[in-house]
Amino acid sequence: MAPLSTVSRALARSAAAAAASSARAAAPTTTTTAVRAMSSTPALRDAASSSYESPFKGESKSSKVPDFSKYMSKGSGSTNALFSYFMVGTIGAISAAGAKSTVQEFLVNMSASADVLAMAKVEVDLATIPEGKNVVIKWRGKPVFIRHRTASEIDEANSINVASLRDPETDDQRVKKPEWLVMLGVCTHLGCVPIGEAGDYGGWFCPCHGSHYDISGRIRKGPAPLNLEIPAYDFSDDGKLVVG
Amino acid sequence: MANAIYNTLFRRNYTMLGAVFAGAFAFELGYDNVMNKIWDSHNRGRQWKDIRHKYVEAADEE
Repeated sequence: MAPLSTVSRALARSAAAAAASSARAAAPTTTTTAVRAMSSTPALRDAASSSYESPFKGESKSSKVPDFSKYMSKGSGSTNALFSYFMVGTIGAISAAGAKSTVQEFLVNMSASADVLAMAKVEVDLATIPEGKNVVIKWRGKPVFIRHRTASEIDEANSINVASLRDPETDDQRVKKPEWLVMLGVCTHLGCVPIGEAGDYGGWFCPCHGSHYDISGRIRKGPAPLNLEIPAYDFSDDGKLVVG
Repeated sequence: MANAIYNTLFRRNYTMLGAVFAGAFAFELGYDNVMNKIWDSHNRGRQWKDIRHKYVEAADEE
């Protein structure tokens, strides 16, 4: 920094001397304002337009400030600003697209692939299940019980005092359509598969440790702590059940 | 012209950001399209969508 400030100080001094000599005939007040104006404005403007000559004799060539005007932009200031900001914005846009793409590809890579998704859903044609019959299907490696319940069975499931149950759930909470009971066929005790149309309550009976489930799949007697689990399922418009 | 673009898009930070994100969106669309086209033309006749009609028609006839 030191040489630069020396040079600029020298420039200011020489300019002030020139101004003072030319304005000697004029009033002294104008001289002082000229000096102040010269010292407050940056010396770069003058130096850029023409090569700077040092006022000192015998100064080496290396300390001269060269003429940079050849390298100055020919365009106007606004065009230059537009171009710079355009380049900055373009780089920003490309980086943003790249970052988004990176994150997205990682997430897509981690999500389930098409073959896994194909296995995750099971479709059952409900027209083939007559009233009062059980059907067991395999879904994600586990059995799923589907029962087409009769009206008397629905009434029976609804007539029970919910407060007396070990895992209190109403029948409405367990089914989407009352005539179709869909639940996971895994005993909540130790994971055996209960037997259908068996047990003291007309529902399911687990032979491993003697858990009795009623016609809504709720635990009534035995060691199991919870009702049979309900999987995510939906009825499609053409009379099919989609589990998963 | 240059001044108008500069003043509308780049002068305020939020418009600059908006322009950058809009540009990123457009760039991504175009880039993905071009790259998919290149890939498809390079693998012409080798992808499932190119040979699908042979097998799907056969399955329908059965």
